Amino acid sequence: MDFFSNLQLAFSVIFQPDNLLFCFIGCLIGTLVGVLPGLGPVATISLLLPSTFHINPVSAIIMLGGIYYGAMYGGSITSILVNIPGEAASVVTCLDGYQMARQGRAGPALGISAFGSFIAGTLATVLIMMIAPPLARFALEFGPPEYFALMFLGLTVLTYLASGSMVKALMMACVGIFLGTVGTDTISGIERFTYRSYTLMDGIGLIPVIMGLFGISEVLFNIEEASKQEIYQTRLSNLMPTLRDWKDSIFSIMRGTFVGFFLGILPGGGAVIASFASYAVEKKFSKHPERFGSGAIEGVAGPEAANNAASQGAFIPLLTLGIPANVVMAILLGALLIHNIKVGPLLIKDHPSLFWGVLGSMYVGNAMLLILNVPLIGIWVKILKIPYPILFPLILLFCLIGVYSVNNNIYEVVIMILFGVVGYLMKKFAYEGAPLILAFVLSPLLENALRQSLIMSDGDFFIFFSRPISLLLIMAALFLLILPLLPGLRRRRQGGDLD
Amino acid sequence: MKRQDWTSSLVWLGFAVLICTESLRLPLGSLREPGPGFLPLLVGVILAALSIISFVQARVGSSADRKGPWDASKRWKNLLWVLFSLLAYALALETLGFLLATFLLLVFLFRFGMEPQRWAWAIAGSAIASLCCYAVFELWLRTQLPGGILGF
Repeated sequence: MDFFSNLQLAFSVIFQPDNLLFCFIGCLIGTLVGVLPGLGPVATISLLLPSTFHINPVSAIIMLGGIYYGAMYGGSITSILVNIPGEAASVVTCLDGYQMARQGRAGPALGISAFGSFIAGTLATVLIMMIAPPLARFALEFGPPEYFALMFLGLTVLTYLASGSMVKALMMACVGIFLGTVGTDTISGIERFTYRSYTLMDGIGLIPVIMGLFGISEVLFNIEEASKQEIYQTRLSNLMPTLRDWKDSIFSIMRGTFVGFFLGILPGGGAVIASFASYAVEKKFSKHPERFGSGAIEGVAGPEAANNAASQGAFIPLLTLGIPANVVMAILLGALLIHNIKVGPLLIKDHPSLFWGVLGSMYVGNAMLLILNVPLIGIWVKILKIPYPILFPLILLFCLIGVYSVNNNIYEVVIMILFGVVGYLMKKFAYEGAPLILAFVLSPLLENALRQSLIMSDGDFFIFFSRPISLLLIMAALFLLILPLLPGLRRRRQGGDLD
Repeated sequence: MKRQDWTSSLVWLGFAVLICTESLRLPLGSLREPGPGFLPLLVGVILAALSIISFVQARVGSSADRKGPWDASKRWKNLLWVLFSLLAYALALETLGFLLATFLLLVFLFRFGMEPQRWAWAIAGSAIASLCCYAVFELWLRTQLPGGILGF
């Protein structure tokens, strides 16, 4: 199959009416949660996960994917207008976007972020189409040691990139792996840490844990912290960037796309890192770096392109290797497993309509988002004005229904509330949730790969170092673990966050 | 580093010890054929080591105590109310039924969650929201929500 017949398959899947509908719903909800601060794509996707059990897996993944990249579009709206990032990947957009809005240029800022995201999203989709199939063929040669090494690297990258202390992030990864071992052991059939609880026999559910850590805890945190927000009063008259704006930002968009895409593929990377990296790159490339922070349009265009390209690049490791690059992909992996789809290098071959359909939906989804965002911006601004005291009971209710409806099991609701409290305390004490969730999802895969590797090698840990690919991956991971210990780099890493 | 780091690292150390002792009750297997207790024990040991590192880092680092985690919390009472109502909802859901339980939860949250909304608003809003959820989840998505004492 060549590029064009694949493209044809992609479009034939996405233009089926129900897929088109679910793609639209996904983009719409994605923009909505991107706009609403305090409800990110992670919580929303886990919230809607149960409702996708009844639809076919292709539509389900198309919709959930749409939420993810839709949120990237929506998040920029709040960053620019209110100086509050709708979700983490839009934090950088605040820096110059809000300044542009204050200078009366909210329109072009919103416009360029929508167009930039569109261009990046479309280019990223083409890149996925070219890279994914050969990568999947390459991955066919992976055995358990390579898989173990790859997952180990993914977890290490995520903890390395964590914003706070790396030790704490590693601790969270350990807790996640442990939580993943609860339940019946798949190899021996022995129950672990279940204490005869019927609910725990199948393991701790992914959905209660995620909704607790990211949904409930977020609400608890906001109840305490939320302050009155003020929307920048501005008339949004002209959304179209001028020719000069285009000239200033088109190369930023291109650079942002490539930076974002490759950081997105990297396990543990993702949209947040990509947007920060792109901002740094733009500042380096600019002839007037001093303008950054006071309304430079490149500072909006680059990161916005990057976070979108990254959110699409992140699909590559999931769809070719079966390894999620970030938390959202981890939830999508959960969704695929629930639909009994075997994820791994064979996915493209076994489920071509799923793989190409999801890619096709990205082309179409990006176009839909452009339409949703540019002419309909007024509606989103209105939604921004819903006060949090009215919003939060509804968010809590969705979490409760969402978790209950998975198995009609009230104890899973209790588990969710418990993890809500844990997540709240983790936020208070500056522990990150992302490494925990990624480790939790990878835990069963990681354990199988580790145990199978050791069986293969007769108990010799050297197996991870004697095979070239796994050696390379393990060395990269160890390098990242040692890096923060080097004195010169430690300070740079800590100063890396944009304060 | 902050004082809160050494309290929290001690809690994690305790958790790690618990993981280790509980893992030891499972068959560990051998390196040639690792059993079900192998990975949990490994992870428990690593977690314990990391907690100790974190504890030491927190003690050694300069104790320029910034604001403790609890200082800013003026709304901690609301927080407890919200938690309490969520637990109550979970426990009462199957006896009261979805519609009634949800209605009561929402009224409570609108009224006592953050800033008290007016009674009329709280009641009307809650009624509409519960009915909408019922329509979407029970009638459209066919989620099996509990009927409870109202019987539907």
